[in-house]
Amino acid sequence: MKKVLLTLAMVTLMAGAVAFAASDTKNLTINATVSSTAKLTLTGGPVNFPDADPDVTSTITSANVVTIDAKAKTGSASAITLTCKANTDLTSGGNTIGIDQISWDGADTIGTGFAASGTMSNAADIAVGGWTGSGARQGTQTYKLVNSWTYATGSYSAVVVYTLTVP
Amino acid sequence: MCRELRQLKIGGWLLMAMVLVAAADTRAQNPLTASTTAHFAVTAQTKLAVSAAILTFPNSDPDTVPMIQASEGGVPITASARNSGTNQVILSVVASDDLLSGVNRINISQLRWTGSGPGFVDGTMSKTTAQTAGLWTTSGSYSGTMTFALVNSWTYAVGTYGTTLTYTLSTP
Repeated sequence: MKKVLLTLAMVTLMAGAVAFAASDTKNLTINATVSSTAKLTLTGGPVNFPDADPDVTSTITSANVVTIDAKAKTGSASAITLTCKANTDLTSGGNTIGIDQISWDGADTIGTGFAASGTMSNAADIAVGGWTGSGARQGTQTYKLVNSWTYATGSYSAVVVYTLTVP
Repeated sequence: MCRELRQLKIGGWLLMAMVLVAAADTRAQNPLTASTTAHFAVTAQTKLAVSAAILTFPNSDPDTVPMIQASEGGVPITASARNSGTNQVILSVVASDDLLSGVNRINISQLRWTGSGPGFVDGTMSKTTAQTAGLWTTSGSYSGTMTFALVNSWTYAVGTYGTTLTYTLSTP
């Protein structure tokens, strides 16, 4: 038998990285929901009026200032309102002082829209502030009480309810 | 006649022996060789897997949730690529637009992410310039997660906002 020897004299292994540009793409959808939201915060109460001589102090200014934070998310053209209303006159037992003897001076501290002034009522909502569209607004109220010799002695009080309305 | 036949046989055996010797001599002095060449071309390749189709950010109180997390959690990503070993492998992402709801919009820069996994980086979304989400220097398959968060704000108008992110994995 004839044997033929084959010698693999040369095997060349070529592994070259041929540099061609390559890319792949994928998409991702992002959704975000913003819903109508209202948040009202009052700090600085209760409002106290110290006794004073009506001849010297015709208008008693409260020592403490009420700070109001009115925050809302709503339509970009939607109207936001902040109102207040007392539940009764200032009452001490059987004696009353008309709630319209109380007024306030308003001021903006964040944003604009707080009413510059107002007079309290127990019959109708009184405007405290108004805005358009979403935002976080802050303002203050400094309350005043008309002083008078006609007031009977007593400790008078009333509750004021604030309402923030966001469409 | 018999003597001639014997001579012929002897000559034949001698001839055969000579042939065998020649053959043996041929094998010893002239081995046969052959060669072949094998080729293996490694080309640049990329493959990108993004294991999420939609991310949703629910409404939240900005005072208590300043950064809204996606309801679906993080987005798993696998970036696989072959490169030359000297060129970079880059994963980038860009938004098609701001978050839009009718005429209202939330600036897309309010969308941020943190990257986890080797090579994955943090970033802030853009609609104008593709942002780097991952960067590698060698061939391989890299898995990580992008966790998105949306800055919350009282200034956002009510609506359902949307946009599309496009990821691109490339090697030059």
